[in-house]
Amino acid sequence: MKKLVAYITTGYPDLKFTEDLALSLAEAGVDTLELGIPFSDPVADGPVIEKANLYSLQNGFKMKDLFEVSRKIAPHIDTLWMGYFNPFYHKGLDLFINEAKSSGVNGFIIPDLPYEEAQAYKPQIESAGLSLIDFIAPTDTEQRIGMITKDAKKFIYLVAYAGITGAGKSESLDEVVATIRKYTQTPVYVGFGVDENSAKEKAQGVDGVIVGSAFVKILLDESLSSAQKIEKVSSLARIIKEKINE
Amino acid sequence: MNPSYNPQTDIYIPIPNPNDPDELGHFGIFGGRYVPETLMPALEQLAKDYEAVRFDREFWAEVDYYYKNYVGRPSSLYYAANISEEIGAKVYLKREDLNHTGAHKINHTVAQAILAKRLGKKKIIAETGAGQHGVATATVAALFGLECEIFMGAKDVARQELNVFRMKLLGAKVNAVESGSKTLKDAMNDAIRHWVTHARDTFYVIGTVAGPHPYPMMIRDIQSIIGWEAKAQLQVAEGCLPDKVIACIGGGSNAMGIFGHFVGLEGVECIGIEAGGYGLDSKHGCSLAKGSPGVLHGQLSYLLQDEDGQVQEAHSISAGLDYPGIGPEHSYLKETGQVTYDHITDDEALDAFVWLSQREGIIPAFESSHAVAYLKKIAPEKIRGKTILVNLSGRGDKDMMQAKEILKEKFE
Repeated sequence: MKKLVAYITTGYPDLKFTEDLALSLAEAGVDTLELGIPFSDPVADGPVIEKANLYSLQNGFKMKDLFEVSRKIAPHIDTLWMGYFNPFYHKGLDLFINEAKSSGVNGFIIPDLPYEEAQAYKPQIESAGLSLIDFIAPTDTEQRIGMITKDAKKFIYLVAYAGITGAGKSESLDEVVATIRKYTQTPVYVGFGVDENSAKEKAQGVDGVIVGSAFVKILLDESLSSAQKIEKVSSLARIIKEKINE
Repeated sequence: MNPSYNPQTDIYIPIPNPNDPDELGHFGIFGGRYVPETLMPALEQLAKDYEAVRFDREFWAEVDYYYKNYVGRPSSLYYAANISEEIGAKVYLKREDLNHTGAHKINHTVAQAILAKRLGKKKIIAETGAGQHGVATATVAALFGLECEIFMGAKDVARQELNVFRMKLLGAKVNAVESGSKTLKDAMNDAIRHWVTHARDTFYVIGTVAGPHPYPMMIRDIQSIIGWEAKAQLQVAEGCLPDKVIACIGGGSNAMGIFGHFVGLEGVECIGIEAGGYGLDSKHGCSLAKGSPGVLHGQLSYLLQDEDGQVQEAHSISAGLDYPGIGPEHSYLKETGQVTYDHITDDEALDAFVWLSQREGIIPAFESSHAVAYLKKIAPEKIRGKTILVNLSGRGDKDMMQAKEILKEKFE
């Protein structure tokens, strides 16, 4: 069975919504939840997720809210925190490790902490029993893929195209997937631009998909009530889960 | 004492610097490469490509041709007799304001464009705050036949409309960035987003000594022609080193440029001036004075941020200093005590803007006015009889609309 990882931005429109949505996604068959940590300058993200980050911060999101809501979510679904490096660095990695351990969060996805810079932090994260997810991009050379895959754990986040999240571009990944498989047994999940239309194709040859902007777009739709948003996101998750396993 | 080189006839080539970063771009804990994985191969390649030309005479000879014939280098070193007499010191102004396009930014856009051309890139992009770097990038794009796209915060587009028009006239496309604080920080976010998507065929001409490695080192090397010239020019004029070297800092490129050949020399104090905005208890751009180490735009450096690590908005009267971060080498120079840092408020900078205009007939950019203003802030006994080198990084033409609005009562 191929896996579905769902990204949602924490605290938009509010924490109760985040909790309800997360539990609903768990029921809908989502395997892993990427709980997004809102950041003022999300440079790897496209306009959809950027907006959700900004709105959440405008609504008063604080890091303590992340810790609080994670305690309610993590017992019900495999949960990772996805966030930019600065809050981790500024508040201290120790704090995030301790909070993750106490709430049951299993690791971190930090898109602006590439392999080289991650070396200073990875041992500390892994010795606490948590994962730091490694990224591979279609621009990577084989030498770089070999280096990154050497200690990749849990899954490899394969960026589907050179670009930002939600751009819906398409690039053939056969070659890069084949190269990754030469070096590691770690599962490969594809993220960036995956929605109900592209899910089946993007899941070819890999072990799972990561979906963000397609869900967050629904969160930003102001014509929907909170209950409608949760229903719509969850049914989209069900559809995508089916499509990747057809 | 005669200098061993002549900037009028010799070619500037960078030299290895005791403060050079490690292979991954770290100046102590600062610098590095904090970017999405997609960009890592492009940055590794750029670091290699830059290393290949860093000390290459042929490359710098090509740059030199454009510096001497197109930019108008060497820029003059002017003894500002009137303000010198007023404050009781010998003040020399390094006239980067006389460069083609009106500021020091053309130095690094010429060199980066020549590098881009050598690498076979057809497109260049840039972020800009005051618009000076955008104009300088659009200029070299026209010169070398490159396609050019500029990212500029919507707030800066409004307050620097003349520069926006200049860029368009030069053939560049200008994107007004509507996200976040709509200033330089957000322009850089969008330039990075664009580059992530187009790194294969696009060269990102970063406008200051910031960003992921190798940019901070590369831009510092390029801009260090300012200090290289000034050192020789001052030798001829005074036969000595300066006692103090003063420059304003947003990202910090003109300051690194003039400090480069003076940091670590006995008897020379380099002083970097941050934008004090409304004052340090209010909104400002003093990342070194009031920020803490953090990660933004691909680098670890001092940063204005809240308790959660969210980046805070900076404020300065000058769009070029309105930035919550600072180049990583400045953070390193601060921590190692090699450079002194202080600040000048909007009001002090405005006073200096009028002062230099009326005393020397030189209208400085708002950015450079911060450096000039420090001559009045520093205790008179500390500068009496001293030789002081001030980097006049740009001219005030671009600030005329804004200055006219702020100062209308004074001059009508």
